[in-house]
Amino acid sequence: MINQESTPAVQSTAETTEHTESTQASRGPAIEAHDLSVTYGTETALESVDIQIPDRQITAIIGPSGCGKSTFLRCINRMNDRIDAAAVSGALSFKGTNVYDESVDPVALRRRIGMVFQHPNPFPKSIYDNVAYGLRIQGISSEIDARVKLALKRAALYEEVSDSLEKSALDLSGGQQQRLCIARAIAVDPDVLLMDEPASALDPIATAKIEDLIAELSEEYTVVIVTHNMQQAARISDRTAVFLTGGELVEYDDTETIFENPEHDRVEDYITGKFG
Amino acid sequence: MAADGNTERTLSVDSRGRLLGLHATLFEAVLLGATLFGIVSLCILFGYIAFDAFRPLTASIRWYLLFAGTLVLPTTAFTLYARRRPAVRSANTKAFGAVGGALTVTLSTYIVVDALSPYDVVLCLLFGGYLPVVLWLIVRRTKRTPQTGLTIILAAVGGLAVAHGGYDLLRPIVGIAAQWIAYFGIVTLPVACGLWIFGRRRWSRQTARRAALSALGVVLLIVALALGLGIDPSFWVVVLSAFVIPVAVVIGEIGVTDPAGRIGSAGPFVLVGGLSAFLAVERQLGIDGPDGYLTATLLLESWHGLNASSAGVYPQIVGSIVTVGVMGVLAFPIGIGGALYLEEYAPRTGWSGRFATLLEVNISNLAGVPSVVYGLLGLALFRNALGFPTGIVLSAAGTLGLLILPIVVVSAQEALRSVPDSLREAAFGMGASRWQTLRTVVLPEAIPGMLTGTILALARAIGETAPLVIIAVATTKYSPPDGVLSSATVLPLQIFAARSNVDPAFRHGIVPAAAVVLLVLLLLMNTAAIVVRNRFDRRSQ
Ligand SMILES: Nc1ncnc2c1ncn2[C@@H]1O[C@H](COP(=O)(O)OP(=O)(O)O)[C@@H](O)[C@H]1O
Ligand SMILES: [Mg+2]
Repeated sequence: MINQESTPAVQSTAETTEHTESTQASRGPAIEAHDLSVTYGTETALESVDIQIPDRQITAIIGPSGCGKSTFLRCINRMNDRIDAAAVSGALSFKGTNVYDESVDPVALRRRIGMVFQHPNPFPKSIYDNVAYGLRIQGISSEIDARVKLALKRAALYEEVSDSLEKSALDLSGGQQQRLCIARAIAVDPDVLLMDEPASALDPIATAKIEDLIAELSEEYTVVIVTHNMQQAARISDRTAVFLTGGELVEYDDTETIFENPEHDRVEDYITGKFG
Repeated sequence: MAADGNTERTLSVDSRGRLLGLHATLFEAVLLGATLFGIVSLCILFGYIAFDAFRPLTASIRWYLLFAGTLVLPTTAFTLYARRRPAVRSANTKAFGAVGGALTVTLSTYIVVDALSPYDVVLCLLFGGYLPVVLWLIVRRTKRTPQTGLTIILAAVGGLAVAHGGYDLLRPIVGIAAQWIAYFGIVTLPVACGLWIFGRRRWSRQTARRAALSALGVVLLIVALALGLGIDPSFWVVVLSAFVIPVAVVIGEIGVTDPAGRIGSAGPFVLVGGLSAFLAVERQLGIDGPDGYLTATLLLESWHGLNASSAGVYPQIVGSIVTVGVMGVLAFPIGIGGALYLEEYAPRTGWSGRFATLLEVNISNLAGVPSVVYGLLGLALFRNALGFPTGIVLSAAGTLGLLILPIVVVSAQEALRSVPDSLREAAFGMGASRWQTLRTVVLPEAIPGMLTGTILALARAIGETAPLVIIAVATTKYSPPDGVLSSATVLPLQIFAARSNVDPAFRHGIVPAAAVVLLVLLLLMNTAAIVVRNRFDRRSQ
């Protein structure tokens, strides 16, 4: 859908855009990490992580502060490139392509892996221009109106802003801003949506709206969501990864298993609130 | 009860509390005293200068009555009326902003272009502005290359090179056209294009096209009229395009979009009407105004070294404006470029990171180097190394440009730093390249701050004297510069020279009057900086 010629470095598999109904098992994992480590100078933020994130499901990442959840997320779309001190080793592949390969253009990669940040960060432009931003920088000029409208509808924001699309995005409430950021990310039709504690700065009602939205989005997108909130992870995710201090991936399994019958005692302690 | 007694003790004022209160009051009084001292001494200084420049005691009572009746009273009454009603007040502010801004732009454009020769300016504009834009539009339409921005820059540089190389051939060709045609190309076409672009965003496509075309039509009509009457239409082309049309658009828009505040846009006209009435009555009844030195002669005439009442500083005003303009053109792109590199591109770690930090620290230090030293630098660079003739506009502007460059860099860095990093993250996260992030997110946020910083730096440079003395810019000139390679002088140097004239009328009349002119120029620039900054503040809230 989006300008495939401009993203030659990231191999596009036909299946990503075609079916919606096949079983999970028939698709390969969307994201796969092997022995992935990240250090900031001398400090280790991720320690030899192995994980396979399935296509079109919601994967939650939980763990105490500073355990490397954001670092892991930022590895996937190479946002860590912006931090000079960050050194990545190991392999991380997106649809079979190693993202840290020389030939991969991080800009092209990020056009297929959208990101939503902890604090809503809409551009100081109009609501319309925010959603159209990704389309414009990719040089897409056809049907911008329709795509903007569709993205706002999918982000469950359209009803609230349909008659004020020209107003500044900064006039929206925090919850609306975050939904706008989601609309902005999905307007370009990415394959994966990374969300770093998207609801932690929001009130309970706005949080509930965002959670509903994420559940709907998982029908079309692979969603990886970092959250601090255990109930949230239990409510919305299919799979859960638990990182513990030191940047270690301690356990990764179906959400139900993690919350009802975790293998490790440390994970159980963390989930039941004994530490963290 | 114990608790009650306790409460009573803490609530009543005791001697210790009184002493503390006294301390606080004293401290406040000292602070107030320091503030008042500063303000009062400045007021006395400016009052003294203004008193010498205007000589208010020489005017008759009738003149003051007339002044109050036609100018002070109506304007004050209108302002008081407008202040009460927010809609009217905002319309009034907008209208004054439009009239003031358009007036400044009009006069400075006319003065600068007139000094530099309209044919040269239109030649530069043709090859460095219009052709690249047309080329860019064609490239954009055909979409041959994705780098449309680069095309326009290359085309502009190439165009200017062609204009420079073929100057001897092209200049006579352009010179065939009447002078008003050159002004039409310099002012009217850009204004019409601006109107069209602005209108497409604000109104509909059709209205925008109609507005732009009717602007062109009106100007041509006036030209025809002037030619019919045998008047040179050049000045009127500039006034109509840069003043009347923008003001009409702003006021027309207020009238349409803001019916409640409509009356507020009359503010500037009350002032202008009062002024016209004042001048008419003054002349009609032969009322004598103050016999000061700040007269039309001072503003519009050439320098006269022997007779203070016929001495004017027009060449110096033009010299100052042209120098500041050239200085801005030199310092703005280089300074902004440096700041962009240091803030957005320079590595932060390793040896190259250390080098960048060293560079940054040095630039901040350069901002504090005394201006005399920059004079020496200018002398060495422009006179000795590049061999420029003594005292030309280009070397003056270059020297002062070097002087303000660190200030421009530092303030632009500040502006870039004030753009929250979360916005850059958002843009990168959307798959914007570094350049796209800069162009679409960072620069729109930072440019008002950069402009404010640059204007304030230019305002500092307009009053500089010492470095210009060092590079031997003439302190007295009788004609305005007619190009960047001709010699010129600036206001502060002329003030400096007039200060040592034997005739006391110069020392006690022309000097303060020229100082007032300089201060007004400065005030205008600072106002521009404040306006730019306020626009920025309103947008980011
Ligand atoms: N830009 C950075 N520079 C240096 N250290 C960092 C940086 N970002 C994160 N870290 C360190 O990496 C570790 C993991 O951080 P992060 O991934 O943000 O954790 P989480 O998101 O789980 O709270 C922390 O110890 C943090 O101090
Ligand atoms: Mg985090």
